[in-house]
Amino acid sequence: MKGTRLVISMLLVAAICCGCAVFGRGKNFVPFNENALKQVTPGKTGASEVTQLFGPPNRIVKLSNGNAYVYERSLGKGTGLWLVVLTFVNYDTQFDRIVFFINNDGVVTHFGSSFNSEKASYAMPF
Amino acid sequence: MRCLSESWIRLAIVLFLAQAVSGCLSLQIEKTQEGVDILPPLAEFMPMRTKLDEILAYYGAPAEVVDMNGDFSLHYRRALSRGASLSIGFPLKYTFLPNPSIKTNGDLLRYDTTVFIFTADGVLKDMKYSKGTERSLWEDYWN
Repeated sequence: MKGTRLVISMLLVAAICCGCAVFGRGKNFVPFNENALKQVTPGKTGASEVTQLFGPPNRIVKLSNGNAYVYERSLGKGTGLWLVVLTFVNYDTQFDRIVFFINNDGVVTHFGSSFNSEKASYAMPF
Repeated sequence: MRCLSESWIRLAIVLFLAQAVSGCLSLQIEKTQEGVDILPPLAEFMPMRTKLDEILAYYGAPAEVVDMNGDFSLHYRRALSRGASLSIGFPLKYTFLPNPSIKTNGDLLRYDTTVFIFTADGVLKDMKYSKGTERSLWEDYWN
């Protein structure tokens, strides 16, 4: 009886532990320095200084009275859990973005920034 | 004592059955999220009064800047997708040639969005806010 119980216990543990978990992390990286934003003054800083500080933008959007330079990077985190007949998958992607509005004279008029990539998290889909 | 052994054996049988049907039966639940929560616009944001810098200060950088033939718009967006798939199969291909299986899946991608439309001078002209993720998942999927 003791032997039977031991075998059953071992099989139970094997059955419960059958499955696997996967964690993944993906980064779409464009290096830009958040602190360099302190050097940008609307009405004074030029487009060339922006590209000097932040490098080439990811996108340039043509506007009627100038351009918008868009800088973007993202961090994605994926979690997967495979149990015997159940699979749970979760992907979370968050972004850091800076947008500079540059007038036709090549001067920054406005800029906006948001840094959320660190909010990407490993989680379950519920 | 006898009862305890019987319940152990029953539990073992259930787990072995679960093991045996793995590959025959599977359920996958998936969630994909892009972007953070989008806040509703402040009551202070008024068309023809609010300026571009106020919106940028409150919302930060938008996901998209779109030229609108003179005017332009800023799009703030969070995408949330939920999906599930269920498959039931009988892996008999090594025994019989027919290999019956049923597989079904569905997913729904929803958005929380705020769009601000500005004049070329950077004055707010119009704004729209929609929180798609608060709607009923079931109704949105089937309607």
